[in-house]
Formats: sequence, structure tokens, C-alpha cells
Amino acid sequence: MQEEDLGSKQPFKFFECMNLLQPTGRQAQDLPQLLSLIGEAEPGVIFHHTHQYYLKAAIEIPEYTNDFAVWAAESLEERALAEKLASLDLYGCEDVEEVRNALIRIIKTYLRENPAPRAARNGDAFFFNDAVTIIMEAGPMAGNLPEFIEALRTVGASSIYFHFFEARMRLHGPADDFSVWLNQSLGREDLAQRIQRLDPYHYSLEGLRQQILSVL
Amino acid sequence: MEGLSAYSLIAEPEELRALTQLASRLEGRSFLHVNSTFTGGGVAEILNRLVALFRDLGIEARWEVMKGDQSFFDVTKKIHNALQGQEAKITTQMWEIHREANEANAKRISLDADLVFIHDPQPSAFVLHRKYGLWIWRCHVDVSHPYLPVWQELESYVSRHDGAIFSGAKFAQSLSIPQFVVPPSIDPLSEKNKDLSDQEICQELEAHQINQDKPILLQVSRFDRFKDPVGVTHAYRMVKKYHDCQLILAGGTATDDPEGEEVLARVGEAAEGDPDIHVLLLPPFSDRTINALQRSATVVLQKSTKEGFGLTVAEALWKGKPVIGGAVGGISLQIHHGVTGFLVHSIEGAAYRIRQLLHNPELGKKMGQMGREHVRRNFLITRQARDYLALWIALEHRGERVIAV
Repeated sequence: MQEEDLGSKQPFKFFECMNLLQPTGRQAQDLPQLLSLIGEAEPGVIFHHTHQYYLKAAIEIPEYTNDFAVWAAESLEERALAEKLASLDLYGCEDVEEVRNALIRIIKTYLRENPAPRAARNGDAFFFNDAVTIIMEAGPMAGNLPEFIEALRTVGASSIYFHFFEARMRLHGPADDFSVWLNQSLGREDLAQRIQRLDPYHYSLEGLRQQILSVL
Repeated sequence: MEGLSAYSLIAEPEELRALTQLASRLEGRSFLHVNSTFTGGGVAEILNRLVALFRDLGIEARWEVMKGDQSFFDVTKKIHNALQGQEAKITTQMWEIHREANEANAKRISLDADLVFIHDPQPSAFVLHRKYGLWIWRCHVDVSHPYLPVWQELESYVSRHDGAIFSGAKFAQSLSIPQFVVPPSIDPLSEKNKDLSDQEICQELEAHQINQDKPILLQVSRFDRFKDPVGVTHAYRMVKKYHDCQLILAGGTATDDPEGEEVLARVGEAAEGDPDIHVLLLPPFSDRTINALQRSATVVLQKSTKEGFGLTVAEALWKGKPVIGGAVGGISLQIHHGVTGFLVHSIEGAAYRIRQLLHNPELGKKMGQMGREHVRRNFLITRQARDYLALWIALEHRGERVIAV
């Protein structure tokens, strides 16, 4: 999808998406291995384990915000490292390479300043995966604010992911599809700014949907 | 079977929309599944329902079962165990038995299809006889630590496919073909999972001389050493010192599993002399009985030491039961430790968690509610059907990371 599809003065078209997980066959049993494989991984793999974390159909609001942080906490039991990895501002990074470099920096610093962590138990290795994303039209289109609100209530949770999280990487900035359309097509800069100020790291997709609806 | 609309009150609407859109792109195309048993085990069970669902969606789905004699199934059981890590000597002659049975079946079965799924190692050599279309090897086994000489031999067949599917990322191998993860699923409308009234549950239990006067610990699975039914009896005895409960070990043996009777005999020895241990050897098509047993249980166990996926976990979670499972294979995808049940690493761990749940019924109830929602979002047949069709489209757009449908 091109940026102009969503940003021009056109009705807002909602999309939903799904991921097909593609294991790479590579795994890290300890932190030095994780560091090495993060350095070698395809960009799509880094993107999957960071940005696509929210697309998982979790039943609880996740404690951490990316797969690397979860693994550090649960499999290595290195909670201090997990906190630092979870605090990485993904959407403050220009692209995936910047995310990769930030991850490497955090892990190297942690290894330098702390005793070497133990390896993960057998079966608890970090498995590096990639993903193919399939995008489908969700159905509703919105030409004005009431239609937009109504559609936002009914689209699937993956639509929130696609237009709010994935859009930030697609649009290379803090903006998302929702705020861009509200600003450019409806002239509602006030709403756009309030949506952009929502903390993207501490909601489930359903929670985020409710937050956006409350802004509107 | 009910059509897709029957799932509209259960599955996520988004999932059903995706399934319909993907199916409309593939309408009229042919989709063949080949495995080695009509009954017994989760593979046959879900194939039965999936094929009907695909047909309802306009796809010409077909399911064929390969035949084999005792020598063939003795070899494939050894291969199966070796893939799960057990050292096994499979001689050249044994591989020849495997190849010849595949060849005979490949001649008997029409392989004309746009997409062919070969399930597990038994029919893996069918690929030597492929004609056209895409061929996928669908692995349901825990191959996280295979016995390498056997895996390497099997890989010579696997790598001739266009892709491989595993039930979890941790089973993936270093392969020259694309790999995907598609967890299996349960059908909430099947005889095994649909709602039952209290009266229907009581009737089923009475038919097996089980009453509900004591809390029920239940493990439902084939009598297979990797399911550790003997270990479950040991855990039960540790619990029995503190709680007057009963244990039900229920299961059948699959037609492609020659070791079942031996394991069943060992379970019988372990249970001897205790009237509160019920060992139920269920015939094929006992789905309603299993449904009733799961619904009557206080705690459900799946204490496997190796597990491809362990669909009995999803079945029990769907019925709102807390599940204690071995921390292996696909079980850890279904049990979120402390949320939908407990993952354990030992017989002692299983006993400890059973006691914890018997002491605290509210905890079990809450875990059961979370478990049902977890299954609804992740492990229903509609999600698996969607994933298979998405994979079909992805393979036809090989090399593309983002595909607009």
C-alpha cells in the first residue's frame, strides 16, 4: 500500500491483516548468541519480533513490549535487561536498522555491566522468526467522522494494529493512518494530535481501540 | 457439518471475514490431504472437519488415507519416535518397506490437485510421485530434537516439497524450503467439543461406572509412552495423601501405533488395586464420552514428555478447565503458566499443582475462563483453515513479504 492511498482527501478505507509465521531455524540459547543473531538477522525478522508483537492475540495486556524483552524476563530471568529492552522507543527509530542498533547497544551495555546471565533451559531458546503479512479490505469505508467512529467500532483488532502501529513504520514518523486522515481529510488537527499522543506501548489492541474512540 | 455461518457466534468476525475472502480467491481449486489413519489422534479428527469446511467454502478438498501392513507401521512408529528424539536403528531394508508402501499407495490414490498436504512421515515419500501443483509437508510431531540419522534420511523427502509446516516455531529445522508455523485447532461444534447438558454428562459417566462424588483428575490421550500415563498415576498417588480424589486415564490407540497395547498394560499394572483409578480404553468415535469426561473434570492433565501439540489441552481449556501440562512441545503454546494452567517439569511438579488447584477452586475457575478465551482467539478450526488458505496464497506469491488480497 502506498502512503497516498491513505493520506489524500478520500474516504478512509479500513484494512485488516494477518501474519503467517515463518521460522528461520535459528535460535539463541543465551544472551551472547542472541546478540550475535540480532546482528545477522534479516530486517524482517527484527521487525517481526518488535513491531508485530502487538498482532498476537494475547489474552492479557503484555507486561513487556517486544519478544526480546519477554525472553529476557521469562527465559533468562534477567528482569533488569527486560526493562531496558521494553523501554526501547521503537517509533522513535527511523527504520529497522536503527531498532537493530539500539537492541545491540542495550544488550552489549548490559553484558558489560552485569555478571554473565545463565543460558535458557532446554526448549526455552529464543527462536528467530520472520512473517508474511497478508492484508485484506475490512469492508467499511468512512467519509466523515460519524462513519469513521462507527467503522472503528466494528473492524477487527488487526485493523487497529495495521493503521496505528504498522503505519508508523510505513509513514516513517510519529503519525499513524488515523491521525493523518483526520488531519488531512477532515481538517481535525486537534483530534489528530490527541491520537498521536496516545502511548502506543501500554494498551492491548482492544484497549487502544477504546482510547481512540474516547478521543473521537 | 454446519457451514461457516455456524461459527459466527463463536469465532472472531475478523477471522471469518479473512477466511471468506481468502477462499473466494481459491474457489474451485483442488486441495488434497494425505495421512495414514482415519481414526485416532488429533490429525484425523481435525482433517475430517477441515475438509468439510473447505468444501463448504467452495474449495474441492479431498482427504485420502494411505494403507500399510504391520511391518510398515512398525517402521513408521520407529521413525515417529526417532523424530521425537529417541535413538532408533532404521535399516536400509526398513526404509525400503517405507518407500515401497508409499509407492503402492501413490499409484492407488489420485494425486491430481492444485495443493497437496502430506501429513507426517508416513506418506512422506509420496513426493517422489508428484505430478503438478504445490506440495507441502505438514509435520504434527515434536521434532525439536530429532535423532539426526533418521531426520536426515527423512529430510531427503521433505526437501522435495515446496514448503513445510510445523505446529510451533521451536520445531523448525534448517531446511532448504520455506517453513511456516500453523498450530492445529479444535472444532467447537464437533461432538467432542459442543456443549452438553448436565443430564447428558451424567448419562455418559454412568455408562462407564463413574460417579462425581470425588474430584476428578483426568488425562485423555492415546496410550503412548510419551504421554506418560504411568507418571500421572504416580502424581495422583502423591495427591491422594491429602485429597480424596479419583483419576481417570482415558484414551484409545491409533491404528498407526503398534505400541499402544504395551503401554496400556503398564498403565494397568500401575493402577492395580486402587478403585479410584479408572482406565478407560475407548473405542474410536468416543467423542461424546470424552466431551463428558472433560466437562466433569476438576483438573485436566496432559503430562507429556514429548508432544507435537496436544490438542486435548485446547479441548479442556475450551470447556473452562484448568490444565496442568508437561512443559514440552505445543503444550506451552496453550498453557500460559499461572494464567490458563500450569506447566510442569516433573511428576512432583504435577502433584504439587494438582494440590494447589484442589485447594483453591476459584483459581481453577478463573484459569478456565482465561483458557476458554485463549482457545477462542487462537486455536479454533476457523483460524487453522484461514492459515492454510493464506499459506496457499503466500506460496503463489513467493518472495513477497506483504501480500494484498
